[in-house]
Amino acid sequence: MDEQHQHVISIRGLVNRFGRQVVHDHLELDVRRDEILGIVGGSGAGKSVLLRSILGLHGPNEGDISVLDHPIRHHEPGPHKKWGVLFQGGALLSGLTVQENVELPIALHSDLPVETRRELAVLKIFMVGLDLTAASKYPNELSGGMRKRASLARALALEPKLLFLDEPTAGLDPISATEFDQLVSFLHANLDLTIVMITHDVDSLFSLCDRVAVLVNKGIIVDTLDELVKHPDPWIQEYFGDPRAVRARAAARRRSASRRGPG
Amino acid sequence: MSAYLTVEELDGLMEINLRHDWVFANLRELQETLDEIEPVAHRLVRFQCGALQNFDLAGAWILYERSMDFEEIGVKTEFENFRARHFKFLQHIIDLAAQKEYIPGFFDPKPHHYWRDGIRGIGANTIEAVDSVGYIARAVLDGIKRPSRLVIGETIRQVHATGAAAIPIVSVICFLMGVVLAFQSARQLEQFGANIFMVDLVANAILRELGVLLAAIMVAGRSGSAFAAALGTMKLTEEVDALRVMGLNPNQILIIPRVLGLVIALPLLTVFANAAGLLGGAFIGATVLDINWFAFTERLAITIQVNDVLVGLSKAPAFAFLIAVTGTLRGMQVKGSAEELGRLTTMAVVQSIFLIIVADAIFTVVYSRIGF
Ligand SMILES: Nc1ncnc2c1ncn2[C@@H]1O[C@H](COP(=O)(O)OP(=O)(O)O)[C@@H](O)[C@H]1O
Ligand SMILES: [Mg+2]
Repeated sequence: MDEQHQHVISIRGLVNRFGRQVVHDHLELDVRRDEILGIVGGSGAGKSVLLRSILGLHGPNEGDISVLDHPIRHHEPGPHKKWGVLFQGGALLSGLTVQENVELPIALHSDLPVETRRELAVLKIFMVGLDLTAASKYPNELSGGMRKRASLARALALEPKLLFLDEPTAGLDPISATEFDQLVSFLHANLDLTIVMITHDVDSLFSLCDRVAVLVNKGIIVDTLDELVKHPDPWIQEYFGDPRAVRARAAARRRSASRRGPG
Repeated sequence: MSAYLTVEELDGLMEINLRHDWVFANLRELQETLDEIEPVAHRLVRFQCGALQNFDLAGAWILYERSMDFEEIGVKTEFENFRARHFKFLQHIIDLAAQKEYIPGFFDPKPHHYWRDGIRGIGANTIEAVDSVGYIARAVLDGIKRPSRLVIGETIRQVHATGAAAIPIVSVICFLMGVVLAFQSARQLEQFGANIFMVDLVANAILRELGVLLAAIMVAGRSGSAFAAALGTMKLTEEVDALRVMGLNPNQILIIPRVLGLVIALPLLTVFANAAGLLGGAFIGATVLDINWFAFTERLAITIQVNDVLVGLSKAPAFAFLIAVTGTLRGMQVKGSAEELGRLTTMAVVQSIFLIIVADAIFTVVYSRIGF
């Protein structure tokens, strides 16, 4: 029971098929409390379908998924107040300003006075590193990085325990991407957050993730990065053998060495 | 006292013991509980946080905010026995609050100036209308100057989508209109024993006016909205920009085929509409009014001239042009938001129906003047 409770998400025997194409074949996955789990996999490996299944946006053919002890069923309400999702394109409502976007979930799920709602929204907007000028803008008036931040503020609006990020640094320049990684790391250190992150960014993987789940051969391999780089699977070997991955790994090692080193 | 805190008062000192979950879900009650506290008689308020279970940013915020209220009326506040993580929250809040001066009234809507806004609106609309005319002219010129294969294929597709696909619904509506007209006219004519003139009334109304009008209104609802929504979505998803950078002219491959397609489709659709309307009249004649099919067609041949049919058909291309231009133009004006898309799609339908009726009135007046 206690062991069970440590798992924020648990997936058992997940099968997803589209026609004759099998995307997931009896996939199993447990996400531990307070960890940052990275999900990687080739294009078309089924990352988005996995995320949509977990969120109850896609009905799997077989299998059980439970999130925060809440069984997930297609088209039925999930634990809305306890999870936040940062969609790949941001998915901010285009007719509302950033501040209204962040205020929306607060207004939907509480009966707080307008003033308090507004303050909480602004607080979240500050927290992700935006200012009041950005808060009063419409999504199409923001840069890609700012849109991601605004969307993150909305995902955090209800103080979730669980945060999903779908390719958060895709489409950002390296500096913005690094800043975004730092923001995620800062939030994880300061809030009680479990983070599940789909990413192709090896820098994010090495600088943030405690464990990484790799989608290969319709199944999933989960381990720490140090173990994964030794895994014999050809796709994994190719992925982590890539020069960029090697560089990111070296950088991560240097960082942790300097943290542990004298000083 | 409250589930979330207990208060102890010693001379000059108020000690508030926080308990349970100070989290977003309980925020309303927490706020009310905090508001009840009256520290006026004290110099110092001490928040004891050792018994706190869960604590999040929202909880930290209202605690911090209330402590600021106390400071403002000259009461000192302090926090004790925080667990490390809880303390971090509060520190974080204080950092955020210090980082920017929060202005509560910042987002209040600006006051309306009805007169000024109204006059500005008229000006803006006029400019927009003039702009539109230029835009259409350029689109048409573009299309004529360099017609491409793409345009022909796309036009044929549009003829199918806006014309052929609408035949069933338009036919049913016009058939029913024929039925209604036959009944209504027969009621009047019966008094004179002149039932047979029902044919004149139905045929004239359907062929000169109602066939084409109903077809056009139906098409405005079906295709005018579809044009606006399709082009508007393409604008929002940058598809229009993508075409442009590929060297394709959006006017040419998005607007011209739709205008051309509808101008071809609507007259053809009107033929079906007219036939269905007459059929409706004949059906009622044969089943209810004692005018058999043969008598109906005989009377039809006497009363209807070729120009009656031409009057109706000649309006169709004009209506089609208005519908297609309004729809595509409104679609191309979409920018920024999904709401804008909805607004302009609605506008496309309303304006095209309005323009159809206005044009019809002009046609009728002009035709009757020249005796056509
Ligand atoms: N709605 C759908 N209908 C048919 N096939 C789908 C659908 N959604 C996803 N797929 C297929 O499932 C596979 C996994 O897709 P996806 O999860 O989007 O991959 P990725 O890992 O790149 O996010 C792909 O081969 C895709 O073609
Ligand atoms: Mg994907």
